[in-house]
Amino acid sequence: MVKPSSYYKKPSERDFEELRRIVGGEYVSTDEEELATNAIDAFPGEFHMPDVVVWPRDAGQVSRILAYASRERIAVTVRAAGTGLSGCIPLYGGIVLNLTRMNRIKEIAERDMVAVVEPGVVYERLNEELRKYGLFFPPDPGSAITCTIGGMVANNASGMRAVKYGVTRDYVLGLETVLPTGEVIKLGARVFKTSIGPDLTRLMVGSEGILGVFTEVTLRLRPLPKTAVTALAFFDKVTDATDAVYDVIRQGLDPAALEFISRRSIKAVSDFKNLNLPDADAMLIVELHGRDEHVIRQMQEVRAALERHNAFEVRLAETEEERSNIWAARKGAYPALLKVSKSPLSGDIIVPISKITEMVEKSYEIAAKYGMDFGMIGHVGDGNVHHIWFADRSEPGSWERAVKANDEIVKYAIELGGAASAEHGIGIEKKKFMQLQHGKETYELLLKLKRFFDPANILNPGIMFDVEEVLAAEVVA
Amino acid sequence: MNPDAEELRSLMGFYAGEVERCIRCGFCNSVCPTSNIEQSFKDSHKSRGRLVMLQSILWNSSNLSPFSNKFLELIDLCFGCRRCLVVCPASIPIPQIMWHVRYAAERRKANPTPYTLRAFLVNYDKIAKAASSLSTLSSRLINSSLGRGMASKLLGLHKDVKLPPYRPLKKTKRRRVKEEADRLVFFGDVFPLYHEGDTTRRFLDKLEEMGFEVVIPKQRQAGIPLLEAGLIDEARKIAEYNVSILTSYVSEGYKILTLSPAAYLALKKDYITLIGSRAEEVAEKTIDATQLANQLLKIGMVKPQNLRNQPIVYHSSCFSQATGLSSVIVEMLQNIGCSIMLSTPRCCGVAGMWGLLRKNYEKAIAVGEPLFNELRNVSVAIVSQSETCRLWLRNNLERDDVKHPIEIFLERTA
Repeated sequence: MVKPSSYYKKPSERDFEELRRIVGGEYVSTDEEELATNAIDAFPGEFHMPDVVVWPRDAGQVSRILAYASRERIAVTVRAAGTGLSGCIPLYGGIVLNLTRMNRIKEIAERDMVAVVEPGVVYERLNEELRKYGLFFPPDPGSAITCTIGGMVANNASGMRAVKYGVTRDYVLGLETVLPTGEVIKLGARVFKTSIGPDLTRLMVGSEGILGVFTEVTLRLRPLPKTAVTALAFFDKVTDATDAVYDVIRQGLDPAALEFISRRSIKAVSDFKNLNLPDADAMLIVELHGRDEHVIRQMQEVRAALERHNAFEVRLAETEEERSNIWAARKGAYPALLKVSKSPLSGDIIVPISKITEMVEKSYEIAAKYGMDFGMIGHVGDGNVHHIWFADRSEPGSWERAVKANDEIVKYAIELGGAASAEHGIGIEKKKFMQLQHGKETYELLLKLKRFFDPANILNPGIMFDVEEVLAAEVVA
Repeated sequence: MNPDAEELRSLMGFYAGEVERCIRCGFCNSVCPTSNIEQSFKDSHKSRGRLVMLQSILWNSSNLSPFSNKFLELIDLCFGCRRCLVVCPASIPIPQIMWHVRYAAERRKANPTPYTLRAFLVNYDKIAKAASSLSTLSSRLINSSLGRGMASKLLGLHKDVKLPPYRPLKKTKRRRVKEEADRLVFFGDVFPLYHEGDTTRRFLDKLEEMGFEVVIPKQRQAGIPLLEAGLIDEARKIAEYNVSILTSYVSEGYKILTLSPAAYLALKKDYITLIGSRAEEVAEKTIDATQLANQLLKIGMVKPQNLRNQPIVYHSSCFSQATGLSSVIVEMLQNIGCSIMLSTPRCCGVAGMWGLLRKNYEKAIAVGEPLFNELRNVSVAIVSQSETCRLWLRNNLERDDVKHPIEIFLERTA
């Protein structure tokens, strides 16, 4: 097997000079400051220094860089906001292709309800612009204020509103993509449906930058809801909360968000925005979107469902400020929970919605088995639960136990018909589950697919698949 | 191994551990004023980047020197606005971390604050007091070509900076007050005492007319610019001095009154950071003028004059946001019959003295540009609580009517 350390070329001054020729000297850096800040993301791992950071401005420059890197066999890792939680970092050095300068909103076609943006546009900034037109791009990940559209497409990101509006994939109509060998291809069309053969756009969404670099994204938009109503419900028993979730969905009450938060996490949410939440084993946040009377009537039904499942308190957000505070706190809760332990380990499993209660019960059992404290928080409306294990690397065995507990959770989720990751992606963290998730044959096909798109395996090496495995995959030319 | 890691860790003390707690979510980048200007496409120029660089040093993962000029210039891009504290889900004290990096550099004598600037920062209040005694002459001098040249040479101020004239707070005879009067001790900081003393005087007079007892004891500046320069020991001394004086008043039943958001922030938060629980009583008893004015309006002790509704644009300064005073100010303005046409939270870029320095001037303009564009065609009065925001807005919008909310309060109440 080829060793990755000897496979990739360490770029030298001659290569830096070529990069400078492509993007201009100001936008190439080998300074330690830039290398260090591009060597890590929000995944709790170690620094892996690139040799050089490049900030291209357009598809033409990206194309020339990738063609050159393929020819010279230099590893390229794609990055923008660097907020990924699964790890997309330059494991094998080389070039970091940083897309933050490609941050233009190229077009908002109000009548088509379509936006065309570059990959470095920050999600919240796009929605700020769209609000002027009464439109929005719904997926709303927890990192909305800082993550970029390119990263969202690469990870098929989603968040609190996925239960009603779906995920990033459901909104990507078209992609301009630069292949690892430098060709610029256009995928999809500016319409809401097509029947034109295999859907390469959908293949690209969620590919985590291993198949190509997105340089332009065409997004479908939605009209902003007229009214939003938010309720909080508190439960003494976790399974009452998860049963209530199922009930709300099954009755077709169409929540725009349905968030579950376990005891350990309630405090983090409460403290972050001084919400003064009561002591409970579980809390649900339910939001409905629609037109005034309709939403208010529907909220009464939701309330009845929550109370039927023994919610001991149901609280409606009275003001817009209260509502926005609840969501700000919820969005902050995930990272806030991560601070509870010295070395937090987080998960991102998803199970069929009928299995949520079973999964949650199993989680407590697995945690007890490994003697681990943990918190749960999740978009349970679609079956997605984040486990956060409070590990401490300085305590012998703690990290290992957390990893084992989380692995067991993931395996159980897959057994139930679910998935290892719902929205954070595979990165370097979850590649160990890829074969279990997809089965041997599909996994091998995926390796070949990667090799077909990226014969020199230069793009995001070590992300999603081990380099050795990709290089061993045979592709008939 | 990074040769500077251990020294940095020991000089930063508690704050080194706080750096390590950062989970690199990047939320701080979204609100950091200097992280969002065109020049800041590089991660090293952003808020999270500064924390990541520090982690890379402390974890021996890079060869960065925390004491190099280049590194400290990047640290200097944090001007202490505190916006990050509102969004950081891990409650990392980011501005305080940056003060302690500069402190570490000061201790190492790496890229120290130039002697003249340092002397100016430490003695800013004393200099202002001396200049105020000859206010007409001093005011003329600081904006003459000679004065500007000196300020540029000695302090590194940008040549286009127009400094505020000296209008010291005039002393008045102490009035007799009733035994049961509410007692206030005024803590000013430099602007309310030496540059905008006329407004301060009118407000304090009004309080006295209403039966408050107001005393103005000996005091030093609030000292926030010292913190931002990493002159923590000097800032601590000042905090000790101010707290000891104010505590003696608090124990006699006085409340502490501030007019500047920097003074309020120092008493409410920063002095506790600097000297711990000894500053807690002072923090608890501190009230800002805008809060007091709003309370007086609510209980009917002050009545708005029957004037026509006044449209106003409110610029919420970084410190007003950090202290939570913004919503109080808006409510107070509404209670005196102002209608807020626009309330803008955008940063103006000046950040105390930061933007006035030649080395930061262009960046400060770049930060402020979106706000200037928002305000350029505003024809009604602009209100901001922060003295340096007002100065900067006056300079950059070329208009004089940028006012403290208390000025509007004085104009519109009987």
